[in-house]
Amino acid sequence: MPITIQPYRQEHEPAVAAFNRRLAAAGVDENLVFYTRSIPRWLPKTEGSDVYNEFFVALDGDTVRGGYALKTQNFLLPDGTTRPIGYYHHVLSEGIVNKAYAAAGGLLLRDAMLRSPLLYCLGMGGYDHPLPKMLIGLGWNHCPVPFFFRIVHPSRFLREMQTLRTSAARRLLMNLVAVTGSGWAAGKTYLAFRRLKSPRIAPHTMQVVGEFGDEVDALWLQARSAYSFTAIRDARTLRVFYPATDQHFTRLTVSRGGSLLGWAVVGERRRDAKYGSMRVGSILDCWALPGEELAVARSATQVLEQQRFDLILSNQSHQSWRRAFKDYGYLSAESNFIFAASKNLVKMLDPFDETKLRMHFTRADGDGLPRNF
Amino acid sequence: MTSPIFEQIRTIASDLFTVPAGRITSDSSPLTIEAWDSIQHLNLVLALEDKFSFQLSTEEIEQMKTIGQIASLVERKLQTAS
Repeated sequence: MPITIQPYRQEHEPAVAAFNRRLAAAGVDENLVFYTRSIPRWLPKTEGSDVYNEFFVALDGDTVRGGYALKTQNFLLPDGTTRPIGYYHHVLSEGIVNKAYAAAGGLLLRDAMLRSPLLYCLGMGGYDHPLPKMLIGLGWNHCPVPFFFRIVHPSRFLREMQTLRTSAARRLLMNLVAVTGSGWAAGKTYLAFRRLKSPRIAPHTMQVVGEFGDEVDALWLQARSAYSFTAIRDARTLRVFYPATDQHFTRLTVSRGGSLLGWAVVGERRRDAKYGSMRVGSILDCWALPGEELAVARSATQVLEQQRFDLILSNQSHQSWRRAFKDYGYLSAESNFIFAASKNLVKMLDPFDETKLRMHFTRADGDGLPRNF
Repeated sequence: MTSPIFEQIRTIASDLFTVPAGRITSDSSPLTIEAWDSIQHLNLVLALEDKFSFQLSTEEIEQMKTIGQIASLVERKLQTAS
């Protein structure tokens, strides 16, 4: 029976549960499951909403062979227009465990491209994963969104960073450096060196807010010309993404002399084996007037440091934000957070190599909200 | 098969699979063309839709097993459309 792609409805839920069970039985990572509920908990489509999430399933008769999520959101494009752009995410196909369904992944993607020709993907776990390989094979343009990290507690980092502790010799060396305090000394020396090299930051004040007020609209309007391609970050959108009822986020604004310079959203990342027992904070979203990125990066970092995080992470695509994080002592490492744009979208981002330097993508634009960022 | 449609499809397939057009016959399939994997199959679908300005259903995509079958499918669709 041919596979058809349909909107995920309640009647499909038992078949999705069976699909998840088949993947689990085949040894797929327990986190790789398709949504058990047909109505999205996060950003469900409602009357008049312009930011929403929809789910679709690949049906082989009554059997589900895969599914994907499509988030639609308004973006500012390089020509100054605003358009709804689709974000293709949470793609799962039975093809990963059964070659008989190898075509399902392609059919899911094609369906998304038909529904939302201006389509992008973000994250994806790195270039060695199946989805980015497929997108590159289809001629999509792509680039990694640079990854930044700041070690707040070097001894904890050396003891807990599992991806670095890959051999007995490395573990021994890292334990030694942690115990003797030389890791701490090296970390502090590096930060002091960066502070000497970084531009001076004019005095500013930071305020933690329960909700973003309408004043961030002016900031959006004033700063948007500095960005070639970005999701709309006006007050209404921010209140959808970071509602006052969600205490998981810390929202902050940065001002000077009563004038707003920028804002950021920070929070604690979900536990991840690769970080051991470290508490990992994330600067997941931010916005600033041109030239004020460093003040916002600094304020966001200080909030997380006060909250006693061991490690702080952020992904930033815009050149000004990248420079700000680097100037504030963040280190960079290879990024597995990849942006890829469909051919139709790339036509609007032409020339992509220039556009990508000023496009604004952060963890908040990925599939991690509201918890996994 | 040497219809104009077949020739156009052969040219598309030759470009996509980087195989000389002369080596592509009506029986050519993923079994005989190494580069014809699931990604290139999707590329072929997108290229056909772009070239002939129609949309293929998932059922039709699954029928596309050989170049000959694809040419027949495209001819049928173009006739239906005209």
